[in-house]
Amino acid sequence: MLEVHDLSVDFSGKIAVRNTGLTVQSGESFGLVGESGSGKSTILRTIMGLNRSWSGTIRIDGLDIRKTPRKQLARLVQMVFQDPYSSLHPRYVIGQQVAEPMRINGLPNPEKRTAELLEFVGLGGPRFQFRFPHELSGGQRQRVAIARALALSPKLLLLDEPTSALDVSIQAEILNLLNRLRKELGLTFVIVSHDLAVISYMCERLMVMRNAEPVETLTREQLRAREIADDYTRALIAAA
Amino acid sequence: MSNLVEIENLRVSFRNDEGGYNDAVRGVSLTLGREKLGIVGESGSGKSLTGRALLGVLPPYARVSVDRMSFDGIDLKSASPRLRRSLRGGRMGMILQDPKFSLNPVMTVGKQIVEAIRIGDRKVGAAEARTRAIAVLESVHIRDPERVLDLYPHELSGGMGQRVMIGMMVVREPDLLIADEPTSALDVTVRTQVLSILDELVTRRGMGLIFISHDLHLVSRFCDRVIVMYAGRIVESIEASRLSEAQHPYTQGLLSCLPQIDGSLEPLPVLNRQASWAEA
Repeated sequence: MLEVHDLSVDFSGKIAVRNTGLTVQSGESFGLVGESGSGKSTILRTIMGLNRSWSGTIRIDGLDIRKTPRKQLARLVQMVFQDPYSSLHPRYVIGQQVAEPMRINGLPNPEKRTAELLEFVGLGGPRFQFRFPHELSGGQRQRVAIARALALSPKLLLLDEPTSALDVSIQAEILNLLNRLRKELGLTFVIVSHDLAVISYMCERLMVMRNAEPVETLTREQLRAREIADDYTRALIAAA
Repeated sequence: MSNLVEIENLRVSFRNDEGGYNDAVRGVSLTLGREKLGIVGESGSGKSLTGRALLGVLPPYARVSVDRMSFDGIDLKSASPRLRRSLRGGRMGMILQDPKFSLNPVMTVGKQIVEAIRIGDRKVGAAEARTRAIAVLESVHIRDPERVLDLYPHELSGGMGQRVMIGMMVVREPDLLIADEPTSALDVTVRTQVLSILDELVTRRGMGLIFISHDLHLVSRFCDRVIVMYAGRIVESIEASRLSEAQHPYTQGLLSCLPQIDGSLEPLPVLNRQASWAEA
């Protein structure tokens, strides 16, 4: 589903990601773990096309993202950001935000599908559609962001710290929702988190990153059996 | 051991749109010795407001009432604003969540620490204040403190900024430190360092610490005693070592909803909030 080869990203001379590769199978959930500044979010943003200067190749569903039009990519891959307080437009009602990608892409019946999507993420009932983001709690806003990401029925969902701005009790609800969506819609996930427990719960494979480079790639079973090659990964587990 | 802090029946409320008042803290009573007390709860549970009410830094439009509030024998309820101001910084300190927003962005770190020292004791000379600032940065494990003194906050990483904040607060050696989510903005690896620094300072200087957090596991590992708040009330108070025996369904729910590295892959249990929790 996703292949990244030899990816390097720099921001005016400062290297954010160095020679990194990863492949994610269709239907798989893949985790990226590491401390701030290790380059994990930069990888996601580059896959999404939010960085201009990078080298290497990225293929999504076999398509080279440099040669594929934006609109076509948008139907393949979507992203959910960390902070639902800043990723929603403050002056659009919820229904409008979720319908926007469908309008842009000229999909039929955006209103009907918006209602279905909101229902699907647990914000059913007509009242939510006409609310503004400031009228919702953090968990509800993150649900809206997820509904919007699903609007174009993408196959790959990039999740950048989807629960770290939320309370632990709400985190459980969102993680359960994401797992249900993955199963029901056959989605592929790439999840970035600094929380190894979240990654171990959500992902079948994970890559540990440090200082812009991958440290090692583990399966969930290896992580749980502590079959770990690198000391940095051990330190992360000890700190979790 | 006499209590450092005693609070009885603290209430904080804010005016709502209808002209009435919404209670944010509803009858909180607690005592603190020279120990590490954790206050845990979700956003909106009133944990930060409790800490701020104790310091006396709530906004003027908040309505605060309390039966008794004392700090080291000083009655805070009847204390003048002047007296309370003299306690803040010198005898009670507060560490906030995010160093990005709580350090002055246009002043070097050194100037800010020196300012804190000299406001406390105007007889301290500039050179001596600087020496003390270097010493305090060393005590919070900052390498090369002389270089760091001349940096601006935006030149520091999150963990370093937080250590500078802690340094600035402990340089006056307060008796009570209120840490409001001091590690939530930090990475796990840095978090461990910052916690061990806090622990070291509290133990060595015999301070009382109120540690406010939403992370129950973190608090239980770090503190001696834990208070769990829900909707402005204390629902449970328990020794940290016995947290696994917690009685209240809310505490149990908070403990079980966290994923574990080696935990089950079944859907996580979510909290079924009951109206009775808010009443109890």
